[in-house]
Amino acid sequence: MRALLAFAAILLFAGPAAAQHQHGKPGAAAPEAFTATPAFGPDGTLWLVRAMADKIVVVRSSDLGKTFSEPVAVTPEPMNLDWGPDARARIVVDPKGGLVVTFAIFQDRNFNGRAFFARSNDNGASFSKPRPITADTTSQRFETAAVDPATGRVFAVWLDKRNVAKARAAGKPYPGAALAYAWEDGDAGFGPTSIALDNTCECCRLGVAFAGPGKPAVVFRNIFPGSIRDHGVITFKDEKTPGPVRRVSADDWKIEACPHHGPSIAILPDGSYHVAWFTAGSARKGLFYARADTGDTPFGAPRALSTSRRQPARPYLLANGTALHLVWKEFDGTRSTVRWQVSHDSGRTWSDPRTVADTSDASDHPLLVANAGRAYLSWLTKADGYRLIPLEDQP
Amino acid sequence: MTFRPLLLALLLAVASAGAQAADLQSFGRGSWSKLRAAHDDQPTVVHFWGLTCAPCLVEMPEWGKLQAERPDMRLVMVAADPVPQDPARVSDMLARANLAKAENWAFADRFNERLRYEIDPDWPGELPRTMLIDRDGKETVLTGVADLGEVRAWLDAQKKR
Repeated sequence: MRALLAFAAILLFAGPAAAQHQHGKPGAAAPEAFTATPAFGPDGTLWLVRAMADKIVVVRSSDLGKTFSEPVAVTPEPMNLDWGPDARARIVVDPKGGLVVTFAIFQDRNFNGRAFFARSNDNGASFSKPRPITADTTSQRFETAAVDPATGRVFAVWLDKRNVAKARAAGKPYPGAALAYAWEDGDAGFGPTSIALDNTCECCRLGVAFAGPGKPAVVFRNIFPGSIRDHGVITFKDEKTPGPVRRVSADDWKIEACPHHGPSIAILPDGSYHVAWFTAGSARKGLFYARADTGDTPFGAPRALSTSRRQPARPYLLANGTALHLVWKEFDGTRSTVRWQVSHDSGRTWSDPRTVADTSDASDHPLLVANAGRAYLSWLTKADGYRLIPLEDQP
Repeated sequence: MTFRPLLLALLLAVASAGAQAADLQSFGRGSWSKLRAAHDDQPTVVHFWGLTCAPCLVEMPEWGKLQAERPDMRLVMVAADPVPQDPARVSDMLARANLAKAENWAFADRFNERLRYEIDPDWPGELPRTMLIDRDGKETVLTGVADLGEVRAWLDAQKKR
């Protein structure tokens, strides 16, 4: 066990080496991904996918993150992984215990991506050779997989630039990217790709929750008329029919760039929608949360999380039974902290924000994950390694 | 200003080969206060850009032109990518925008929150961003692609003081 622990420490502390040789001239190191994304299996196993330099590995823990197994490679060969600040390798577990890992690589120096997936049907002992999620080779990034809790089917959604290339060929402008999706077709791979919406923002992570069987709801930074990059939610009517865009908030952020800072969504059993996001719009600036009673009703007034001088960022929402958890990252001048709030009345009232973790150096975005009725913060930090921290359910 | 023959020789050698490589300084914790102290009492333009920021790359050559047009401008360029970039590529971009002779820095610490906080606690990290610092240290921030007319007017106003 001691050997295993030591190994886990090496694995989790082995961040980008670039920071080690920063004296004087910048080192010649290439940028690297630094993420850890969790998922619990039906048997309570914690699965963690790590993007490290040029490879993706999966580790497992049967003691809630205290010790980890030896890593299993998902990428057999070195790959030029997407290291964008909002990109991450992800893992989902289907009801049979099958694992699906998704990740993207850069194809070129212009940040055109290619999204891949790999599957394990032997409880993480090995993974299939990574294959592209879609046949089109233009560009895909910010791929996000989610398991439909009712059917067990894996849904994948990503930002796709195929229509940019088509528009360019026709001499037409095409701002942003398209929201593309596909459903896993048995264990063999993903079925045909469809475009749910054109002209979304192109560099922000997506959020996915399920509103019912075959009804994923996707939150994303959209491009509204006038290059306004505010958030929208699309709820599918069925597996093949994306619904209309429902605007979360009119922040009026006019920007000809992408802020690499995407939203998060949760849906509670009462059908209510919850979204948290970052904006620097003319109507409001900072980190915000809003709720809607159902999938059809408008979102209520945004609630500000923290103040701008604390750099609130990277919000994440999780519905755990009827409890709704919200975390985000702040910076106090010396340390990054993860702030946490919980609501037990469908997001109407919240506990006072509390610091549940902090660190003195760079860190991944804070994530939330639940198992057996308990919610946990999952956070990878450079100085303190990986941490899985149980959250209290009561404020 | 001290004259650095070695640097000059290096620059000449590179210039003869074509493009001029940018002399890039590593921007880490504490760099901002050093940078500010080095320009104390001098009106200074600090432009924050990023290799991963598409509008920044479009705007950069305009800064190169402005620098050629206004030798009176003390221009500091800071590559503020949230994930530190390959310095060779940062230098290459600066050279292509005719900014190799500006005072050039690049973020070299992944603790982006900390670097931004030292510069301006209210900066959420968007790029490009320009800071005009007058003789008294008063900062004027231009967010997004800068209106260079505004920068010229500011430079003129500094001369009159």
